[in-house]
Amino acid sequence: MPLLDLNSINTFYGRSHILFDVSLSVEKGEVVSLIGRNGAGKSTTFRSIIGLTPPQSGEARFKGELLRGLRAYQICRRGIGFVPEDRRCFPDLTVRENLEVAERREKEVAHPWTVERIYALFPRLQEREKNLGSQLSGGEQQMLTIARTLMTNPEVLLLDEPSEGLAPLVVALLADLIGEIRKEGVTVLLAEQNLHFCAKVSDRGYVIDKGSVKYEGTMADLLSNEEVKEKYLAV
Amino acid sequence: MDLSFLTVQVLSALRQAAFLFLISSGLTLVFGVLNILNFAHGALYMLGAYFIYWLTLYLVGPGGFLLALLAAPLGVALIAAVLEMGLLRRIYIQEEIYQLLLTYALVLIIDDLAKIVFGPEFKSVPKPDFVSGSVTLFGGTVPVYTLLVVVLAPAVAALLWYLLYKTKTGKVVRATSSDREMADALGINMSALFTLVFAFGAILAGLGGALAGPVRTVFPGVGTEVIIECFVVVVIGGLGNLWGALIGSILIGALETIGIIVFPEFEMALIYLLMVAVLVVRPWGLFGRPLKIKALSEKNLEMEAQEISPVHFSVHPAVRWAPLLLLLLVPLVAGRFYQYLLTQIFVASLMAIAFNLLLGMTGLLSFGQAAFFGVGAYAVGLLVTKAGFGTLPALLLSPAVAAAAAAVIGFFCVRLSGVHFAMLTLAFGQLIYAVVFKWYGFTGGDNGIQGIPVKPIAVAGLAGIDIGSTKEMYYFVLVVVGLSVEILRRIRSSPFGATLKSIRENGQRASYLGVNVKLYQWTAFVVAGAFTGLAGGLYALMEKSISPEIIHWTKSAEPVLMTIIGGIYTFVGPAVGAVVYIILNSYLVAWTEKWALVLGLVLLTLVLLLPGGVVGFVNEKARQIFGKLRCIRRWSFSKSTTS
Ligand SMILES: Nc1ncnc2c1ncn2[C@@H]1O[C@H](COP(=O)(O)OP(=O)(O)O)[C@@H](O)[C@H]1O
Ligand SMILES: [Mg+2]
Repeated sequence: MPLLDLNSINTFYGRSHILFDVSLSVEKGEVVSLIGRNGAGKSTTFRSIIGLTPPQSGEARFKGELLRGLRAYQICRRGIGFVPEDRRCFPDLTVRENLEVAERREKEVAHPWTVERIYALFPRLQEREKNLGSQLSGGEQQMLTIARTLMTNPEVLLLDEPSEGLAPLVVALLADLIGEIRKEGVTVLLAEQNLHFCAKVSDRGYVIDKGSVKYEGTMADLLSNEEVKEKYLAV
Repeated sequence: MDLSFLTVQVLSALRQAAFLFLISSGLTLVFGVLNILNFAHGALYMLGAYFIYWLTLYLVGPGGFLLALLAAPLGVALIAAVLEMGLLRRIYIQEEIYQLLLTYALVLIIDDLAKIVFGPEFKSVPKPDFVSGSVTLFGGTVPVYTLLVVVLAPAVAALLWYLLYKTKTGKVVRATSSDREMADALGINMSALFTLVFAFGAILAGLGGALAGPVRTVFPGVGTEVIIECFVVVVIGGLGNLWGALIGSILIGALETIGIIVFPEFEMALIYLLMVAVLVVRPWGLFGRPLKIKALSEKNLEMEAQEISPVHFSVHPAVRWAPLLLLLLVPLVAGRFYQYLLTQIFVASLMAIAFNLLLGMTGLLSFGQAAFFGVGAYAVGLLVTKAGFGTLPALLLSPAVAAAAAAVIGFFCVRLSGVHFAMLTLAFGQLIYAVVFKWYGFTGGDNGIQGIPVKPIAVAGLAGIDIGSTKEMYYFVLVVVGLSVEILRRIRSSPFGATLKSIRENGQRASYLGVNVKLYQWTAFVVAGAFTGLAGGLYALMEKSISPEIIHWTKSAEPVLMTIIGGIYTFVGPAVGAVVYIILNSYLVAWTEKWALVLGLVLLTLVLLLPGGVVGFVNEKARQIFGKLRCIRRWSFSKSTTS
């Protein structure tokens, strides 16, 4: 049974139909990429999963259970962590406070994330512990939003365009970090425009365009498939 | 100025600031998290005061008083929690205006219920002995109770600081107020948090009321005075910002004290002047930040869809003029009471339709239309009584004067949007109210202008037409309003109207397309102001006396209510709302004293069940029925062709 499974979901913003029968599944322990151009529907897919913009039809299942009708906070508490694009850390809270507000105790977890464990993984955040969210650099903000979502003890992490707008050095750091997170036992679904970044961190990928999935396969196959790259990913 | 005088004055300013802070900290906290500017916060204050009045009837002695001081706010919090869970919670996804209106409905309801339960008279809570004396400080005599208030407020501020910065829930509250959606996705239960914060805000309002009980009088409706002061405080400080509320309270407390000493006449105007000055320099308040534009919720889209695909009854012009013809015949069959009632309805309709040029068409919620109504009315009153103008010239000048006022006020207001826009229009309106109320030499102060003579109207040198009687006034108002409404209708269907609509639907897109959004909004504001002024001018002629009451902010709520009752997205909606409102008003006032209660319940029902208003509802039904008819017709048509 896949950990996360979308079956033909259709999602709307008001009257505009955005996602068309999107299906995808993620197995426990995988890092899976969702690749597509700007406006392809990656963020909408994530918002559909986490319940911020619930799909109007189709099924989203987590560990076999339907997510229909659940609110975002309930979906989060079941174990899906959402890291939004554009780094929405809380600007008026310090780094430490940003982490503290996300700490969840509702669920029994074998090895829960604590601020200390986070600091071990993100030493930079410890150095900036007392700074406000708004005082961080772009890379630090990205680290903080990821770390903050980890504090909710997710089993699967939805990472929305983490590499966007970061310097190459920071992107490399981020790739390592995703590897670390995977080693901690967290499954990752990664939305990206950057194919090479995906190739570095994930084994499998889906290509999405105009709200529907056009291709799925291993990253190696995708990298060698010039037609798909040309048609859906070329800028 | 000696030290004792200074001491007394400083402490009096601090006491005022302390009350303001206690109440407005709750208001701003609720706004910060729920994004609702709670009109009913003043009513909660009132409940706190009534509760301590009631509790101290049974709880006596120092211990009893302190217990009551604790229990009263908790009682208020309980009521607030019920209101939040039962009512407010249902409309979070709707536009701001429905949230404002729901809390306004609560004001009407709570005020009347308080009147029923506690009686209409002023109540005062006896001060318990242990705080009723006074002490001498630097030679000045200071009541002990003042010291109690002045010490308690900073203690509450410190407690708030502790809760917000040192507890997990407090941190969650701060996080939520900066990004609600993110907090939701991080597993924070918004519903529970909203109830908690709303109830906590109510505790602060209730504490303010309970503490004020022994030093200020309590009466039904006291909340409407208190809430406006608090609006001023939180808007000056920056909506949603606690430190802003603190600084705002101190500023207003100081200004009121200084005002009473230095400009006793215009003390009230002074605080609105400060608010206007602050917002002109810092549109989001001293510590405020621009509000993020909320993503259009699905509800919004649905409601706008009502207008996007309205039922077109493609009315023949003759049909459109038929009601007018009928109205011309009314005086032949109906008596003076009905003529007068209809005249009132005409004036109110004009005001409401003009107002909806802002709300329904441009998406601007003005809460200061009474100012332009009043400016128009006073223009007629003053021109006729002081400058000897004839009826018609004075009336024709009233929209011009109101437009001039709207041009100045609008210049500052259109820089803001949403709640900030509403608050700035409200502040300007109250500024004008405060000046008119006190300027005895010019406006007659709170006496107003009595006995405005209505002289016969001279038409092209012919004998004058006398419009002094009810019937003639009826025809005169009908003609003026009819013409004005026709002009407004043409504005609505003109390219200018279409541009306004595109601004309401998506201001950002309109500005990308090269529309000077602010200029269009300003023009709409001025046009609406002009017609509102004309309505005011007509009012002055028809009532023959005016008073500052017509400028008070509660009057500004009337066109808002009428528009919501009738329906915001249609042209005739506001007029239908005016009919309902005026008829309800005149019959209910005769039949029951609980007019506000009924109005509040009507409003509550509309906001919760029929957000499209009466006309929106009829349209919706009509579309369903017509839709079915069309299906049947198509079906029978296809059958006849196949056979
Ligand atoms: N709040 C919204 N309202 C209406 N349309 C939206 C909204 N957000 C995104 N869209 C539209 O949905 C489509 C998919 O957007 P999105 O999921 O954000 O794409 P991606 O994340 O792949 O860049 C785009 O065409 C975008 O314009
Ligand atoms: Mg995106």
